[in-house]
Amino acid sequence: MALVGNIRDFSLSDFLSLVDRGYKTGALHLSYNDQTARLYFEKGKLLLAARRPEDEKPDLLVRLGVLNAEQVAQACQTLAARGNGTTLSQVIIDTGLASPDRLQQALLGHTEQSVYGLFAWPEGDFLFEHNQRPAPDAPLAPTPISIDHLIMEGVRRIDEWERIRDRIPSTDLVPRFLAPPGEKLKGMRLAPDEWKVFARINGRDTLAEIAQKTGLSDFDVCRAVYGFLTAGMLELVKRQRVLAAGMPPVEQPRLKKSLVNRIINRIRSM
Amino acid sequence: MQTVKMVISGAVNAGKTEFIKTISEIEVVSTERRATDDTRLIKKETTVAMDFGRIAISDDLVLHLFGTPGQKRFDFMWEILAEGMLGLVILVDSTRPETFRETNRIIDFFVSYRDTPYVIAANKQDRPNAWSPEELRLALRQPPHIKVLPCTATDRESVKNVLLELLYVIQERSED
Repeated sequence: MALVGNIRDFSLSDFLSLVDRGYKTGALHLSYNDQTARLYFEKGKLLLAARRPEDEKPDLLVRLGVLNAEQVAQACQTLAARGNGTTLSQVIIDTGLASPDRLQQALLGHTEQSVYGLFAWPEGDFLFEHNQRPAPDAPLAPTPISIDHLIMEGVRRIDEWERIRDRIPSTDLVPRFLAPPGEKLKGMRLAPDEWKVFARINGRDTLAEIAQKTGLSDFDVCRAVYGFLTAGMLELVKRQRVLAAGMPPVEQPRLKKSLVNRIINRIRSM
Repeated sequence: MQTVKMVISGAVNAGKTEFIKTISEIEVVSTERRATDDTRLIKKETTVAMDFGRIAISDDLVLHLFGTPGQKRFDFMWEILAEGMLGLVILVDSTRPETFRETNRIIDFFVSYRDTPYVIAANKQDRPNAWSPEELRLALRQPPHIKVLPCTATDRESVKNVLLELLYVIQERSED
């Protein structure tokens, strides 16, 4: 079933994060006023971002200066002859029309710029169709693009406290890594201020203390942390909980197993 | 007579009142009023204080079900309801992603200071465009050990299943 919503309520960064963590394959259709866009994903990575229908056609490679019109026609002919299961990018690489690096670089740049533009939309309906794939002749990045740094880029453009407060209600919270961040970090391109914040996260200091130690504003620290949160790298905990070394400050009443079993049996019999 | 308490929470129009009505043995005591703010765009009446339902377990044991008011201005009620609760059901309207942030705020409120056993019920799974429980887990950023269950609050079996799954979580933590 398709996922529908509006990026005003569930931001594009949040959606990209969902795609990333859920290893989703499919197409995200976006529309805002008279603009539309379509993003194709394969197992949580981005294959193609099209701000207009022509971006899904082989001629995009001519516009990007990767191939000329004759080479594109030649590649399309070979693709048609090879049949199902082959992509245009594979044909271009196999026939030596362009190197994998050249193709990747051009399509990566185009895709990133297309997605960055979408972060400026204040709202827009989205619809995610599971398992919808691009046409075989679509110009896909030979190596699917990791979306972690796209998420961070989206977060960098947030300029309102309101949005950040949804997830970071107080600067008294302590950011703590969920796991060693090594692998996640490889796909991200952090700005110098984000590195400063990243380096100060130790599971003990609050956001306010990190702001003090880095000399950054509360907003800048919270925005960077918002990005790390959206990328699924860390969690925020209250200091009291941290100091208690994982023990809950408010004890829940402990019940006897026999009593719980009685409730279970009663509910089952209803 | 011993009473134990479960709390049913969630954003406005998540289905809390319906959930309790479906399983309660008594007519639910509800303080629904005509909505006077933005809520009226979603539903004509909304719970302004709380819902209360009851299930008699035996002659000497009763389970009380409390539904929290969904509107932000009644946050103060949550603290009162949370005191001494056995466990928590967080209901989510699976068809309205605009409520996911509010749902996260509610989870954070109830869970961050207490080691509360809780499950998430992905309500309205019978509607078109409902997000699946797995998609809701991702959207709400819940770890794998938290149960996110399909739910239709008007269906008794579905509500029973949610309560049972919560009870299994509580059972694991209970003393022999």
